[in-house]
Amino acid sequence: MVIKLLGMFKEGSENAVASENENTTSDVESEYGHIQLKKVSVFYEDDEAVKEIDMDIKEHTVTAFIGPSGCGKSTLLRCFNRMNGEIVGCRMEGSIIWNGTDILSKEVDPVALRKKVGMVFQKPNPFPKSIYDNVAYGPRIHSVPRKKELDKIVEKSLKEAALWDEVSDRLGDSAMGLSGGQQQRLCIARALAIEPEIILLDEPCSALDPIATSKIEDLINILKKKYTVIIVTHNMQQAARVSDYTGFMYLGELIEFGDTKHIFENPQQELTEKYITGRFG
Amino acid sequence: MSEKFHEQLKELKKDLLDMANLSKDMLHKSVKALKEQDNELADWVISKKGELAEMDSKIEEEAFILLTLHQPMAKDMRSLACVLKMITYLARIGRYGKDIAVLAKELSDQPHIAKLVSLPHMERIVCSMITDALTAFENWDIKYIQDFKERDDEVDAMRYSIFRECLTYMMEDQKKISRCINYIMISRYLERCADHALKMAEKIHYMITGEHIDIDDKISGL
Repeated sequence: MVIKLLGMFKEGSENAVASENENTTSDVESEYGHIQLKKVSVFYEDDEAVKEIDMDIKEHTVTAFIGPSGCGKSTLLRCFNRMNGEIVGCRMEGSIIWNGTDILSKEVDPVALRKKVGMVFQKPNPFPKSIYDNVAYGPRIHSVPRKKELDKIVEKSLKEAALWDEVSDRLGDSAMGLSGGQQQRLCIARALAIEPEIILLDEPCSALDPIATSKIEDLINILKKKYTVIIVTHNMQQAARVSDYTGFMYLGELIEFGDTKHIFENPQQELTEKYITGRFG
Repeated sequence: MSEKFHEQLKELKKDLLDMANLSKDMLHKSVKALKEQDNELADWVISKKGELAEMDSKIEEEAFILLTLHQPMAKDMRSLACVLKMITYLARIGRYGKDIAVLAKELSDQPHIAKLVSLPHMERIVCSMITDALTAFENWDIKYIQDFKERDDEVDAMRYSIFRECLTYMMEDQKKISRCINYIMISRYLERCADHALKMAEKIHYMITGEHIDIDDKISGL
């Protein structure tokens, strides 16, 4: 049973979605598409960086994590694609149930998981290759599509990342020649090319100018129609502008989580209030 | 957000209280001028119209600068939103004071048709509402504005009572019609001032609690 449920994270079996009848294990409580965190903790050696977080993330929404530096928001973000597992001495506890599967479980192949969970980092990090090859990189390693098919994927991904109009006539040019904002959108296109369901954005605009930032923000708004977006940002105005739900973290704890409007207009926790009004942090 | 922002916000609230005191003073003195047929005092009220408008513009501009530069959140955002709404209500209250002062001058050429009791009493209730709204604003405490609905109802009732009283005078003697219309107008102005005080209370309630309330849904279009 468990192996079947985990099927969606095995290479070549992406359509193996748990059916209602199969969802008989006690862990499988989350609604399809929702991401349910249950007592998620992350330790760096003995240091507990993320402390027993429980929360539900809805499908096709943008969820933002805010909080002062070192509060654990990026660490929490990295749980969703198990990237913490790449860090020596780092271990995760608890469970993240998504589509009936605990993605923190050892049975889940992190590489297959990352095909479903794309990530974009703070600093644009295109490969020193052409624009085309950057986007085609993922599909090429996951499968070997025909050239025609690959062209379609590249075009579709660049269009979804709102970059196609700017680069369609120079796909063979080096990605390193693009502006910072274009490079970041290229990284988003690269993440989209493998057809993920969740997009993780770790401070995606912190290295960008205001115009490039507003393009990325517009893009996030479009992406949520098709993907579930989770974003970490230091910029509270950005969190308020782009997200549907916001979580405020402090010293590894999720202090408050709720509708973005309520968090920024009338937070219920004093700590949240103090942080977002700049009285500490 | 910087300490500078919080200092500036504090200054802005102080400016708002100064404006509120002027506005309330204009209303209070206009009714005093009416009662005592004191044209000099009425002129003082009329002369303050420009100063009030300047304060309104200055606070609005400062609030916009703070919004633009700092994009405040939570209670800071609610405070600024409240200040921006309050200056409109306060400007209107002050202007009603000026309008009453103009009518007071018109009514000063002859003795009042009866002893003025109800209009000064209305003014006292309205001014107490303004004072308590400002105390709630300053002390971040909604207990001062909790009985505003009852106070507003009393002001409304007094307005109708004054109307009926004037109606009797007008039916008795048509020469009193123009004077009585002025009394009715003044009672109407005072009643609107109470409505503005009540709307201020709603905004202050939002500032303090984050919840929008409708103290009296009969009042609209303010």
